[in-house]
Amino acid sequence: MAKRLLIVLALFLLAMMFWEVAANYTERTALTPIATHYVAQGPDEVGAPNLVTAVVVTYRGLDTLGEVTVLFLSAVAVGLLLTMGGLDQKAEPPTPASEIVETAVQYLFPIVLLFGAYIFVNGHLSPGGGFQGGAVVASATLLLFLALPRSKLRHALLTITESLSGFGYVLVGVLGLVLAGGFLDNRVLPLGDYGRLFSAGAIPVIYTFIGLKVGAELSAVLERFKGEAS
Amino acid sequence: MTELIGSLVILAGSVFLFAAGLGVLRMPDSYNRIQTGTKASTLGTILVLLGLCVYHPAWTGKLLLLVFFVLLTNPVSSHALARASHARRIPRSDKTVIDRLEEAENRAGDA
Repeated sequence: MAKRLLIVLALFLLAMMFWEVAANYTERTALTPIATHYVAQGPDEVGAPNLVTAVVVTYRGLDTLGEVTVLFLSAVAVGLLLTMGGLDQKAEPPTPASEIVETAVQYLFPIVLLFGAYIFVNGHLSPGGGFQGGAVVASATLLLFLALPRSKLRHALLTITESLSGFGYVLVGVLGLVLAGGFLDNRVLPLGDYGRLFSAGAIPVIYTFIGLKVGAELSAVLERFKGEAS
Repeated sequence: MTELIGSLVILAGSVFLFAAGLGVLRMPDSYNRIQTGTKASTLGTILVLLGLCVYHPAWTGKLLLLVFFVLLTNPVSSHALARASHARRIPRSDKTVIDRLEEAENRAGDA
């Protein structure tokens, strides 16, 4: 009974909280001053048609560096936990996929990788970016594991890619501190022509680093989950 | 004129997509549902994309890439689904009389 009462009380308090938020909600009809600044000055200051990318990589670049760090730490933790506990290695061997699936995946794998690269290289022009492109790259790995469970990734290569990408990201940030206005300032490279692939300063470079890093990390996590399929 | 032709092709595609949805609802077992879902929806999607090609000729390259992708993935994924259902012995409809995969597996088992 007391437990029920507590649940009802908790629900009531939760409802009060949400009611506060919902009752005072009015739709914003104008941009806040900082948003106005981003929209009005973003194209000139950053040179990226995709304003979301301009905010994520440049104006709020430090936050993104934090996100990359969080992702890195969680990937490391997943790897550590799975190695410590030891996956159930006696799981029955997976049913082999049919020849059709294997053949199709051999054609699809490079295309999906290419598409992932396209997404993170074009992050400053079109929707998407390093995280999304990296996730697409990892989905290519997942496809490979589904079709060919015996396939192995080259750990050394993944580790080197991941470490160098992270290092490169921070290096570009520090270069911004030295050569331009501050940490992660994208104007270390010329802004170039608005809307072209090689424009917006360091944003494509940073997003390529993030895409490689996220792709390598998630692929490594997937392989940990796969375990040693024999 | 091109807009009209493109719209008609898109309409034809959506008829096929509708048939695919109807088939998924109405077919008796999962194999038949996979089959209608794939065949009709592949054709429907391709027709919609081709209709868009007529409607917006500037997009043709990207749309044809999409057609290629759909042609490569849709049949293969439903093949994998159907094979997985067969491996897990998902029951067939009573009206199904021929099972070539089982025959082949039996022959492979005998040999």
